[in-house]
Formats: sequence, structure tokens, C-alpha cells
Amino acid sequence: MSAPIQPASDPPPSLGPREWRLRLDPLLLLATLGLVACSLIAIRGATADDWDGDPLYYVKRQAVYIGVGFVLMYGLSRLDYSRLRELRYPIYGLLIFGNLFVLAIAPETRGTRAWLELPGFNLQYSEIGKMLLAVALAGFLVERMREMGRQTTARVMLLGLLPTMIVLAQSDLGSATVYVVGTLAILFVAGAPWRHFAGLAALFAVAVAFVLVAAPRLGVEVLKPYQVERLTSFMHPSENANDAGYQQEQARIAIGSGEKTGRGVDGATQTKLDFLPEHHTDFIYAVIGETYGFAGCALVLSLYALLIWRALHILTIAKNLFGALIAGCIAMMLLYQLFVNIGMNVGIMPITGVTAPLLSFGGSSMLSTFLALGLLHSINAQARDTASSKGRTAIFQ
Amino acid sequence: MHLIDRRIGFIFAVFLALLAIGATRAAWLGVVRADDLERAAAVQQEDDITIPAQRGSIKDANGIDLGVSEPAMDIAATPRLVNDATKVAAELAPIIDRDETKILSSLARRDTQFVYLGRGIPATRAERARKLGIPGLEFIPRYRREYPRDWMASQLLGYVGTDGNGLRGLEYTFDKQLAGTDGERRMVKDAMGEPLEIRDTKPVEPGKDVTLTLEADLQDQAEEVLAEVGEKWKPKGATAIVMDPHSGAILALANWPRVNANEPDKAPEEVNVNRAVGTNYEPGSTFKAFTVAAALEEGKVTPDTSFPIGSVLMYADRELRDSEDHGMGSMTVSEIVKYSSNIGAVKIARALGGAKPFDRWIHRFGFGKRTGVDLPGEERGQVLALEDYSGATMGNLPIGQGINVTPMQMMAAYAAIANGGILRAPHIVDKVGTTPTKKPAGKRILRESTAASVRKMLEGVTGEGGTASGAHIEGYTTAGKTGTAEKAINGKYSEEFYVASFVGFAPANNPKLLAAVIVDEPEGDIYGGQVAAPAWKQIVNFALGYKKIRPE
Repeated sequence: MSAPIQPASDPPPSLGPREWRLRLDPLLLLATLGLVACSLIAIRGATADDWDGDPLYYVKRQAVYIGVGFVLMYGLSRLDYSRLRELRYPIYGLLIFGNLFVLAIAPETRGTRAWLELPGFNLQYSEIGKMLLAVALAGFLVERMREMGRQTTARVMLLGLLPTMIVLAQSDLGSATVYVVGTLAILFVAGAPWRHFAGLAALFAVAVAFVLVAAPRLGVEVLKPYQVERLTSFMHPSENANDAGYQQEQARIAIGSGEKTGRGVDGATQTKLDFLPEHHTDFIYAVIGETYGFAGCALVLSLYALLIWRALHILTIAKNLFGALIAGCIAMMLLYQLFVNIGMNVGIMPITGVTAPLLSFGGSSMLSTFLALGLLHSINAQARDTASSKGRTAIFQ
Repeated sequence: MHLIDRRIGFIFAVFLALLAIGATRAAWLGVVRADDLERAAAVQQEDDITIPAQRGSIKDANGIDLGVSEPAMDIAATPRLVNDATKVAAELAPIIDRDETKILSSLARRDTQFVYLGRGIPATRAERARKLGIPGLEFIPRYRREYPRDWMASQLLGYVGTDGNGLRGLEYTFDKQLAGTDGERRMVKDAMGEPLEIRDTKPVEPGKDVTLTLEADLQDQAEEVLAEVGEKWKPKGATAIVMDPHSGAILALANWPRVNANEPDKAPEEVNVNRAVGTNYEPGSTFKAFTVAAALEEGKVTPDTSFPIGSVLMYADRELRDSEDHGMGSMTVSEIVKYSSNIGAVKIARALGGAKPFDRWIHRFGFGKRTGVDLPGEERGQVLALEDYSGATMGNLPIGQGINVTPMQMMAAYAAIANGGILRAPHIVDKVGTTPTKKPAGKRILRESTAASVRKMLEGVTGEGGTASGAHIEGYTTAGKTGTAEKAINGKYSEEFYVASFVGFAPANNPKLLAAVIVDEPEGDIYGGQVAAPAWKQIVNFALGYKKIRPE
């Protein structure tokens, strides 16, 4: 079995639609539609009392984000992603300078400096940065594929850590961890040896020890106290039922109260009475759990499973290594985000402000995810075009 | 197999594992832990609070409040939320009238989240405390029992505990009716603790008022007179009861020493006992009326039947004497009553037929069992069983020694004489809410004529030369009987401790009022005629006027 990875120097197929057929992966599209539908329904129930005078305020906004997202996704899917490889330096530049710019001018909101205030819309640039990172790193790595030595690993790692540090400086812990995961995913798919990961893990352990234990003793504040609390409180939620632990406890209560089939929108008191914090963003999964019970949870999980499975499938059929690396990076980022988000909803992961892709309310996250889906569709479409032109079918369907 | 395929396979495995973990955890919460977590949700979202029911008042026959409930607050604290305990204690102490150091030690407790700082603080003062805005304090509405007349009828009314339950007296007996039913209110709160929805899940039912047959003015008079008796004779205790002999309605019931009903715990336990029903005593000569009534009713004697009376009567191994030698040789039944002859009473009992019929008559007058008055803590008295009689017994019982009775039993039995022969349980509660209580039915124990004859003879007692001539009230005919009973101390009659009593009614022929005054262990004088009869006269004299009973 062999994945049809082509040298990236193949001449790109023409960009114009040669024939009018749906070039999107239908199952991936199905998962996407299912999740955004769940998102709209859940947000409608959760936020009906949250905006005076307009019970549909959040639903409408989310619908607009989804609409824009679909357009972006479709547009991207029509392009040949392979061309982006040439743009890796400008893209990386956008990633770094864009985030620096945000750090410089963004006002402090809720303890972070991650939000760029645009007219009518607050952009969380680090979200968009996820896709920039995936494309840029994939571009860099393809160059050095032949020698996956320690040097390559270290260099890619440093390229990944630089934007991570900037985003961390914005106090956007959630996105920072996604950057790290994306970087590791690319290295992994590219075939970096296991011992490199072991080495990185050791470095990570030292870093964690430094950040959580050593630095505070020395009076250096790498993480803000609330971030440390959020990261550690999931280990004992009932014990400190305030602040971070409180949120987690409330989410668990909400999901448990939903039982098997849920309490309905009117009966979902955890959500309605504001016990559940951030109920349309970080804790939307708990809202679904309370409102629609385990059945709702299971449906959402199934849709996510479908989504990830399709992403991994596209990874296997990518026509070149560049595409495979991007797909692998995106698949792992999505998997990581949904696991961390759902994990914090059900009380097995710390609260890091990682949103649930396609589910949480929020334009930046939504746009970022649709960009990722657009890239996936593009990789898929290119692979199919190549396969059909060469008379080969993709395996591992 | 290519490296990349293995890597993809690995990622897929990780994906499946994470998926399984997520699903399992959601199922665990939503299915297995659901009940627990749902309860947790209800606990934090719903708050059930009790709306206390206002306790009914206790009122006298004219609607004067004797016991009322006023709005008040319990003030409690969560000690760890109170920042400056010393300052808080200093501020609160004068308002809630409690020692500063005690408040401070309550606030210093770290083993509890809830400690009472003051209970039943009157609403106006509690409001002042609330305005201090001290964090960590909680104000729990409730009612506070107050007795506006402080000392009046305390043992009769009883008191209410800090939790609002009647613990003694009428408060105890009628607790259920007075208390009402607390309501329940369920509040649905949002995460900030703001109530969103308030629903009365159980309505409040205020308690019912209890209206007594007692007359506050008469009660006052009775208590004042007893206070004078207490002052003058320094007894261990004293009781006075005034009653309508026909209905059995108690009009006054006084005990001495007095207790402040608002501070019952400041008096010793025995003083809180309602002596009128809660003490047993040997009635002495007041009991002779029953001896005579029995013999008359059975036709064994007439008022004019004459008995030889020597100065000493040997009874078994005892010498029986009258309190003074009348030197008359013989006495009629009337004279025996008038001069309270012990020898005569014993001879009348003998004429009745001795132990067996006498025992029957003791029970017929209601002795040895509770009268059934609507007061708690009623004693039975002590009546010797017939088979336990010794040779000396019939030398004691006819003169009211060797038997224990309660003041209330004496009232009930005397009422039968006064009202023409009906024995009925006395009562003090007239109405609960607006519903009159069911009044006890009577039982005829004497013929009208017998009762009338006994009344006539008892009239002689307060007449010229009788043992209680001091009890005579100008303008009225009075009747009664004195008692000077030796107290049995450790099984032997004492020459030192007596119970002096007088039971009587007025007007003698058509009695409207029956009253008893019983003085336990007076000092200085021992005789019922000297100690109890003048007090009786003062009380009844006032009562006749108060009840607008025309002089004859």
C-alpha cells in the first residue's frame, strides 16, 4: 500500500473549472453541515435570553460567519494548494508580523491581547494564524524531507515555537498549544524519528517544570496566575468549586443533568440560569449535553469522528507531500482542539480557552476552521484530478 | 509499508482512542452519574425557605392578649465570612442585647458555617443590625413570643422554646392549634444568586388564637392577694383558683411564687409548675364536706342527726382529738361541719358504713384520677386501695388525711356540691380560633337536695362561731370549709408543716363563684381559717363585684 505522493514540482493543473462537478468531498461536507447545524441549534437555545431585544442575535451572527466561511472554503477548494508552497515565506511573515501587530495594538480584553477590533467584528488573529502556520511549516519541511535529521527537527520546531511565543505573549494559551500540536503533527507526518519526539518531550517536561514551579519562585511570571489555576484545577474540580474549578463542575453538572435524552431548551436550567459559563463558546458541548442529553453528545461526537476520519483519509490520498503535511497538520489540530474542548466540558482536560471547531460561537474560530476545510477539499480535489488523469484510484477509501 | 503509512495509521489509532475516551466520559456523566449531577443542579438552583407561621395569641375571656407573637429575626453568621469579628461583636452587642465576648467566641468558631448570634431579636432591633451591612450575617425571619403582662398567669400559660414549640402550660397543650403551619417557598436562583422565580409551594397557615375563660382582672386580683399571703406567711407555695361552679369555667388560676413568663428560665424548676394541677396535698378538713355529703346522700344521717363527741376517740392505736375541745358532749351533723370536729367526721363515716362505701364515695367525687381539665401536667392524687386499708385508715380518711388530692380535684368536687350535684371536668379554654371548644359533660353524683343540705351546713362555717367566720362577705351569704392538714414527712405526720386551705362559694344558696385558696407550709399560723380564709374573702369579694353579682 502506498500513498500517492507526488514530487511537489509537478506542473499544477489549470485552476479553471474544467468540468462542472462538485469537487468537494461529500462526507466531509456532510460532517461540516451537520456540525454547523448543531452549532446554530445549540446557540439558539443557549443565548435566547442573553441579548436584550433579540433572542436570535448570536444565531444570526453565527449564521453570517458560517456563510462567509462556506464561501471562503469553496473558493479555497477551487485553488491548487500546491501553489501556496512558493508563498511560504510571505505566509510565515504574515503569521509572525500579523501576530506581533496584534500584540502591539490589541487592547486588553478579558486578560488577553489577542483580539483585533475591526468594525463590527473582533478578529482573533491567532486563529487565522493556525492555517498560516500549517501551510508555511509544510512548505519549509518539504524542502528538507530528504534529511530528516536532528537539525531539521530542531529548525522546524523553532519555526513553530516563534509564533507560539508571540501568541503566548498575547495570553492566548489555547492557540499557543494548537501551534505546538500543529508543528509536532507536521514533523510526525514527515517522519521525524521517534527519538526526536522523546527529546522534545523531555524538553517540554523541563519547560513545564520551569514555568509552573521554578519561574514563580524566581519571581518571573511566564503564565498568569489564572492560567496556572485553569491548567491545574481540572485535577480537583469539586474541591474548589469556584473560578476555574467552578466552571468545570458546572459543565459536568450540566452534562449529567441532561441524562440520556436531555432536558429540552426550557428545562436546561444550568444554561438558562447562567450557571454554565461561556455557554455559547467554550462550553457549548455542555449545553448540548444538558439540552439534548447523551444522545446529543453522541451525535456531535459522531459528526466530529466523520470529520476527522475524512481529514485523515484526504491525508492518505494527497497527491504530494506538501498536501499530506498540510492535511496531517490540519487533522491533528482539529483532533486536538475538539478533544481538549470536549475534554474540558466533561472534566478530563484543563480549561485552556480552546474552542470546539465548527460548534462554538465565534467568527475567528469559524473562519479558521473553514479555511482548514477549504485546504482539505483542495487537497482532495487535486488528488482526484491527478488520480483520474493517471488512471489510478485512491486507495484507503 | 512506507513510513508515512505507519504514521497515518498511528494517528488514526490515536484518533480512535481519543474518540472512545470522549464518548465514554460523556456517557459516564450523562448516564451513570446523571442522578447525582441532576441533584447537584437542583441544589444550587433552588432554595427552599420556610415562611414561619405566626403563632396564635392566647387571650382572656374579654380578648385581652396574654401571649402574643411579634415579628422577629434570628441573626446567624457564617464565621469565616465575618471579617473583623471584634468590631462586629462590639457593634452588635448593644443592639441584640447579648454579651460582647459571647458573640466574639461564636464568631471565632471555625468548625461550623452557621452559628446563631441572637435568636428571636425583635424586628425593629434586628432591622438596625441589618442596616449595619455586616457581611457574613444572615437574618432569618421568625416570630418571637411575648407575654405583655410579664408575671401574669405564667405557670398557666407556659412558654415557648427558642424553636417556637410550646414547651409548657397552655402553650404546650394547644401547641398544634396555636402554631399553625409554616409555609414553604421555593426560589429559583441564577448563578449570581438573584431570585428569578418565587413560588409558594406550601401556603402559610397562621396559628389560631386560643381564648380562655380566664378573666385578666380577676387573675390580677387573685395574684395580688396571693402575693400578700406570700409576704405575710412566707409559705413554700400557694394556689388560688376561681371558677364558675355550674360550667366549670376557670376564671382565675394563680400560683405563688410568681414567674416572669418572658424569662421562665430565671425561676427554679419547681416554681414553673402549675401548682393548681401539678401538686398533691392532703386536703384535711376541707374533705369533711364529702364525708357528710356521702352519708346524707345514702340517707344514713340527716343534718340534725346527733353524735356523742368525747374529747378523745381511740381509733386503732391512735388517739383522735378535735383541734379544740368543744365540750358539748354531743354534736349534730351541722355542728360537726361548722366546728370541724374530727371525731364527728369519723363517726359520720362509720355511720355511712365504714371503709367500703367510703372508698366508693372517694372515687365518686373524682379523687384518684385526673379531672380532665384542659391543662397539662395534671396529677392524679393518691388514693389508698381498699385492700391496703389499715386499722387506722378510717380514722384518717374522713378528715382528709391519708389521701392526696390536687387543688383542681377539690374544685371539681366542691363544684358538684355548689351546682346541685353534677361532677364535671373544669375547663379554661373557651374557643380555639372562632370555634367554641367542646365543654365537658357532667355526671350527677348527688341529689339536688343533698347538695343543698351540704351547702346549708357549709354556710355555717363562715357564720358566727364557725371556723372561718373571717371569710364572711358583707351583703352576701358565703359557704365553705377550712382545712388545716398535717403534712406527712417521711411517712409520719409532722407537727410542724401544714397545708392551710379554704374552699368555698358564694352566694351560699345559689352559688355563682367557687374559689379555693391553698397555702403550703405557712409560717406563723397554720390554720386554714386564719391563713387561707381572709385571702379567699378578698378574692371572692372582688370577684362578686367584678362579675356584677347582686348582693342578697
